Amino acid sequence: MTAATPAVQRPPRPKRSLAVPAGLLGAILITLWAASEQFGIGFDIAAILEDLSKGSLILTEVLQPNFAFFPRTIEPMIETIQMAIIAATIGCAIALPAGFLASRVTAPGRISLAVTRSILNVIRALPDLLYAMVFVTALSIGPLAGILALIFFNIGVGAKLLSETVDAVDRGPIEAADAAGSTHVQMVRTGVFPQVLPNYVAFSLYVFELNIRASTVIGIVGAGGIGNTLNAQMGFFNFNNVGLIILELFILVFVIELISIQLRRRLT
Amino acid sequence: MTATTAAQVAARPTPPSHVKRDIAILATLAIIAWAFLTIDVRLDRLIDLPERLWSLFQRMFLPPDWSYIEVALPAMVASIQMAWIGTLIGAVLSLPLGFFGAKNISSGPVSNAVRVFLNAIRAFPEVVLAVVVFVPIAGLGPVAGALAIGIHSIGTLGKLTAEAIESIDSGPVEAARATGAPTLAVQRWGVLPQVLPEIVAFWLYRFEINLRAAAVLGIVGAGGIGAVLSNTLSYRRFDKAGLAIIVVVIATILIDQISGYVRRRIIEGSDRKAIQAEVFGEPGPDRAGR
Amino acid sequence: MIRFEKASVTYPGGVHALRDITLQIPDGQMMVIVGLSGAGKSTLIRTINGLVQPTSGDVTIDGRSIRHARGRELREIRGRIGMIFQTFNLVKRTTVLNNVLMGRLHATPSWRSVIGRYRADDVEIAMQALERVGIVDKAYVRASNLSGGQQQRVGIARALAQQPKILLADEPVASLDPPTSHVVMRDLQRINRELGITTIVNLHFLDLAKVYGERIIGLRGGELVYDGTAAHADENVFRDIYGRSLTADDVLEPVPAV
Repeated sequence: MTAATPAVQRPPRPKRSLAVPAGLLGAILITLWAASEQFGIGFDIAAILEDLSKGSLILTEVLQPNFAFFPRTIEPMIETIQMAIIAATIGCAIALPAGFLASRVTAPGRISLAVTRSILNVIRALPDLLYAMVFVTALSIGPLAGILALIFFNIGVGAKLLSETVDAVDRGPIEAADAAGSTHVQMVRTGVFPQVLPNYVAFSLYVFELNIRASTVIGIVGAGGIGNTLNAQMGFFNFNNVGLIILELFILVFVIELISIQLRRRLT
Repeated sequence: MTATTAAQVAARPTPPSHVKRDIAILATLAIIAWAFLTIDVRLDRLIDLPERLWSLFQRMFLPPDWSYIEVALPAMVASIQMAWIGTLIGAVLSLPLGFFGAKNISSGPVSNAVRVFLNAIRAFPEVVLAVVVFVPIAGLGPVAGALAIGIHSIGTLGKLTAEAIESIDSGPVEAARATGAPTLAVQRWGVLPQVLPEIVAFWLYRFEINLRAAAVLGIVGAGGIGAVLSNTLSYRRFDKAGLAIIVVVIATILIDQISGYVRRRIIEGSDRKAIQAEVFGEPGPDRAGR
Repeated sequence: MIRFEKASVTYPGGVHALRDITLQIPDGQMMVIVGLSGAGKSTLIRTINGLVQPTSGDVTIDGRSIRHARGRELREIRGRIGMIFQTFNLVKRTTVLNNVLMGRLHATPSWRSVIGRYRADDVEIAMQALERVGIVDKAYVRASNLSGGQQQRVGIARALAQQPKILLADEPVASLDPPTSHVVMRDLQRINRELGITTIVNLHFLDLAKVYGERIIGLRGGELVYDGTAAHADENVFRDIYGRSLTADDVLEPVPAV
């Protein structure tokens, strides 16, 4: 005979967390505020949809690249690639120690950690184009300004990526290095660096790719590379040429991604 | 240290050779050297660089024109709004595209086509999109900027969304299908709950990036703080430019912190995942359990 | 001689990990520490090389206090103390040899470590350490490609490469299967006898403790509750230390009840 089972109390329904609906409400309110005519940017979907066809006028030109323009893009493209390489090399070289200093796992002390992180936050807060404008103002136009701008941009991105990776390393080898009597530098070099090397290589190649994309933008202020040409052609309303440049960049970035996959496999 | 016998030494393995790796390293170094040596840059400029930078720095920040905050602050707000709307557009439009681009949800040819489309969009810098497509539509100003940011973001967000969907656990999806639920419901209940936190984290990270893009677009006519920076620098009003830079720095850092905090609350380690995904084009290592 | 003088460790949360430990460990002894998880075994072993600092009392090695050692002095002391870990703590991505060479760091100037060029003498010492644990053929193999037992032997080689006077082993076999555990414990025993290195081992498994420990100490709640030979450590002693009846989890190879 089965014993009567004692009545099981149903657990009380857990309180629904307010976080999600609150967040959603907040997001909607911000959107309404940001889109409004009076407080915001005046985003009117209806008006946009009406004028949608105007956008396609130029776009169709861009989508018909003018291949005859190609020879005039060779030199600026090469300059862009050179700038991207140089900035990535210097930027990532500096980002290596900076990234280690910015991670609580490898920072030598709390003060240096806070200082490094603050400096990096400031560096990262400024867009690449702003650096380009400042350096162009200080140095006059040309690739040097662009390279310097990209270097700062690279340090910001690279150090952040590296410090995030370092934050997540296996701490075991670190304890082993400490227990064996290593110095702080030795501990980082033998216990942490081998763990993050593949990521570091990947980031560096990514940063290089970002530099290529950024070159279009910084060219606007005269910082060299294909961006200058792009800007000029837009100014002359030669949108078929603009289309060619974009196509070239597309192919270039694609090729770079292929190469970087190969390099990543071989280098690590 | 005990003396080693010749036999001992002979029994030790020899260091392996890494031909492919060494070639790759040499090739990389050669390319880097080529870039440094062949670039057409006047090195004598580097010598007065520190001096000129210092002089510029002084004129910008010692002191900046504090009263200019009346102009800079509203402009910064406009840029933030631009970035917000743009990210929203990108998020909303990339969600369905992400589903269509995921190999485990939609069929092969469709998902491939969608991926190529997304890559193509990514190739268009916001600046070009803004000038070419959206200024003609919406005129100069932040609306065009928001649209440019939005459409460009679809590329990256769509790719990340598709990859996040591809890496989900198929169990709940199969279970949902097995109950005979219609496809849309399967997506809503089987797929979405798994990936939504990660996707929202991507959206927030993209917002941080788009804030910088908004500042940049201002320079080409989208208004906001970018226009302020451009004007003040062009007219050499450096103390005003200095203030604008301070405003940008503080606002960006603030938003980064807030967004980062929310992201971390949504998922553990979301900073790293978002960045890893951005860089490697794959959801972070924890996802795949590697 | 390692000396504990009323050493106590209290963690910031208020946890008393060690209470008034007074103990002397003569050179060359093989000592095993047993006790429940959380009884203080890991803490005690880490106070010897300063990975955990005593909050009161002192730990001295040949008269030199660990508690007040800092910087270079601490590194020197640690250089002479080798440590092996339950989770091996190897750098998985690099070769066995590079892992063992970490044992030579205390004698290597920083600049050499940074560029990764150790002195030939140091490489020789590392190779000999690998030979002593019988794994030199794997010198250039990636550490992650080895089995658990092999990885622990690399850990031992790394500790040996320091040419230590003391060897600390924190649950060295907890992640290994029984036959491999015996191999590793035998290695430790052999090293202790042949090289005269003071060996201190935390063990979870009582049968291993009895077989390999020359001297056994038991910790319970951070206090020293037993200090004697393996011969005297019978089931009752262990029950005292554990504060409960023994279970199958407490031995490596449970003998099935007839």
